[in-house]
Amino acid sequence: MSTVAAVVVTYNRKDKLPKVLDHVLAQSRKPEWLVIVDNASTDGTDEVLKRYEGLDGVVIVRLTENTGGAGGFATGMNKGYELGADFVWIMDDDCYANSDALEELVNGLAKAEAEMGMQLPFACSLVRWVDGSICEMNNPVTTWDWGRLIAKGQENVLVQHCSFVSVLFPRWALTKHGLPLREYFIWFDDQEYTLRVNKSGPGVQVLRSVVVHDLGVNRGVNFSDVNASNLWKFEYGARNEASYRLHHENPVAFAKFVVRVHQGLKGGRVPWGLRLKLFRKIVEGVKFNPKPEMPRSVL
Amino acid sequence: MDKLPEIVELLDESGIGLADGEGLLDERERRILIGAVNFHALARPGRTFRITVLRGPRGTMPSLTDDRTRHIEWGDDREVVGSLVVRSTVQTTSGTNPPEGLVDLAVDLGGEPEVASAYHQLPGLMGKVRRSVRFFAPVQFDVLRQYRTDVTEKRYRKREVPKKAPVRITRGTTATGHGATPAIIFGIHWLELGGAERFALETVQLAKEAGFTPIVITDRPSTHPWITRPELDGAIVVPLTHPVSPEQESAFLNGVLSAYDVRGVHLHHSTWLAQRLPWLKSIRPDLPVIDSLHILEWRTGGFVDISVRMTNVIDHHHVISPMLRDYLVGKQGVDPAKVELATLANLTTKGIGQAAAKAKSDDGPFTVAFVGRFTQQKRPYLFLQLAASLKGSASREIRFIVHGDGELAGEVHGLVSRLGLSDVLELRGSDKPVAKTLADADVLVISSDNEGLTLTSFEATAAGVPVVSTDVGSQASLVAEDLLVPRHPYPFISTAAERIRTMINSPEQRKTWLDEQAGKAAAFAKLPDARTWVRDTYEGWLK
Repeated sequence: MSTVAAVVVTYNRKDKLPKVLDHVLAQSRKPEWLVIVDNASTDGTDEVLKRYEGLDGVVIVRLTENTGGAGGFATGMNKGYELGADFVWIMDDDCYANSDALEELVNGLAKAEAEMGMQLPFACSLVRWVDGSICEMNNPVTTWDWGRLIAKGQENVLVQHCSFVSVLFPRWALTKHGLPLREYFIWFDDQEYTLRVNKSGPGVQVLRSVVVHDLGVNRGVNFSDVNASNLWKFEYGARNEASYRLHHENPVAFAKFVVRVHQGLKGGRVPWGLRLKLFRKIVEGVKFNPKPEMPRSVL
Repeated sequence: MDKLPEIVELLDESGIGLADGEGLLDERERRILIGAVNFHALARPGRTFRITVLRGPRGTMPSLTDDRTRHIEWGDDREVVGSLVVRSTVQTTSGTNPPEGLVDLAVDLGGEPEVASAYHQLPGLMGKVRRSVRFFAPVQFDVLRQYRTDVTEKRYRKREVPKKAPVRITRGTTATGHGATPAIIFGIHWLELGGAERFALETVQLAKEAGFTPIVITDRPSTHPWITRPELDGAIVVPLTHPVSPEQESAFLNGVLSAYDVRGVHLHHSTWLAQRLPWLKSIRPDLPVIDSLHILEWRTGGFVDISVRMTNVIDHHHVISPMLRDYLVGKQGVDPAKVELATLANLTTKGIGQAAAKAKSDDGPFTVAFVGRFTQQKRPYLFLQLAASLKGSASREIRFIVHGDGELAGEVHGLVSRLGLSDVLELRGSDKPVAKTLADADVLVISSDNEGLTLTSFEATAAGVPVVSTDVGSQASLVAEDLLVPRHPYPFISTAAERIRTMINSPEQRKTWLDEQAGKAAAFAKLPDARTWVRDTYEGWLK
């Protein structure tokens, strides 16, 4: 039987973390390993982790510095790979998986593969907000033929890319395409990675696999929302996406992105100082082009 | 001493000593000769052969099955050391009698095995330049080699290996019957020292224990020093020398298939047999084929990519490391159901204990060891550079052991004195057991630019010695994370030196790394065992 390593990346979220971990451990199809990557939290997360340490299959990786979501996922996925898992199932530290979320993901991917007659590089869940509505930030982008499996009676949608909130990657996808780019630190790492593995075929969103993303507010990412306190995140986003559009797509996609950022900032009446900082990051993206790290085969 | 197998009848002999061992040939030569006889007897059933046996100067390769054996003229330096008349008792096409008449063959056994000096392996002007650069600037030479590896590797790995189309028929047409003795065909690179060869011979032994006659075919030029190994007693060994004419190739394989009840094929790094698998599968689609793979080679992919190319005519790819499994399944899209991971953990660790390691005192010099053949792949010269770097910077008395021999022996000896290491470095040959070196060592260094999963890493773990290794092949399966060091020469030397200095200064850190290594070894040892898998597979072929 296939083995699964669940990977949770956490940073200073000790209040929500136990609920996240408990949901993983209570899965109807229990993962063989639960890899928890602590991104050098400073809020006492380690006290929480100590309660889980020693439980069967729990592997804790304590990083000495905060490597961002990107670094954390790369570390955790690599660890799952090193442990010999056939799948890694990754999520944030504020994601509560329904008890059958993993089982449905594994089964949904197998059914989709059987129907498509090919291996598919990822399967993601339907992500809800705490009130049961769709989580604005975590909606995958579909393929042109997204209804192909629905037409065959499956509750699975073909997708191009998704966010790192409950995604199942088969081992071969890591072997073939490597790990997420640590250098992205945060934002766009998920989109870059799922687009990268998408070269081997579409992903699938398994609608029967449901998780809840416990965000403060249910709002998507938009450059019109930039302010002084969230600027740092948008800076990473601007640099990473600019780099991706230019180096992995083409100059036209890059130019379109610049226009999109400009229009978003203008629409949100973002102060000029902040706009300037973001455009500097876009320029930084021209030179910034990290290469994927390949996971090591250990077991 | 080996007797002629049942597929031939001895009519007369001179100088060979098949009956009483009293002859001009030694045991290795006699077995090589029998190997040649096996080939001709199987390729030309029922015929009678008079074989003139030649011997060449030291280091020359045998000529046993190629077209030259039909020539009754030979080189000036070949001496005649025997003559043999045998008749093939192999029956093939029923009802037809083989043509009468004697077939005259001249079989050249080659010379005594010789460790070829790398100095002579690069002929021509370019060779002269290359060996001079390698001798005088080995590290810089290696830097260039590693860059070349990077470039070709990057280019090569981008493309998927094309796969041979499958054989669609499920039954081969029958031209002849077959013998009653169950047999397994083995394809082996050559019968020389090597990890893959060691395992190959173990499987030959397993086949015998399961009740099969092993048909062992080698396809590389060699003097086959291992042909005298006891695992090969009772096996039909056929050391091919090329070029074999096409009609002889099919005649030989037909001979095997009709003389024996062949139940399966097991490849161990055999290009010749791999390339004939589509034909074999078209003749006998029912014949199960397994291919054991050990190492993924830089630049060419080597046997692994041949295996990928032939995947449609191979039933099981047996891999000995997780890395090879992931390469086949993840990179090359081979059906996971056809890939069997079964490891050689602890193949050579019998008799190695930790007693010596535990008894070692912390007062003596810190000992850094290298164990391995002196070849370009193992890069002993990098170890010597590392030794030179450590000698000048260690906080404690330090000494080095270099245990091995091989084609770079000249370079190694020259470099030891050039780097001023003579007073702190001990060279050990194969007369000393590896276990003794490991017992003396505080750390083992593996400087290879490519490996599968080194058996010495298992041995070191058994002996309680931490391993510092280049991060190549499957070394990550056994070596502690921090002790995996870059393949490129300068980063290799600086990182390895830094880790070893840490060990010298902190016995606690050395122990932490050793514990991590032991933990990895224990987890690795729980993976399926190759011998068990092979034994079960063979037993399945008996049913």
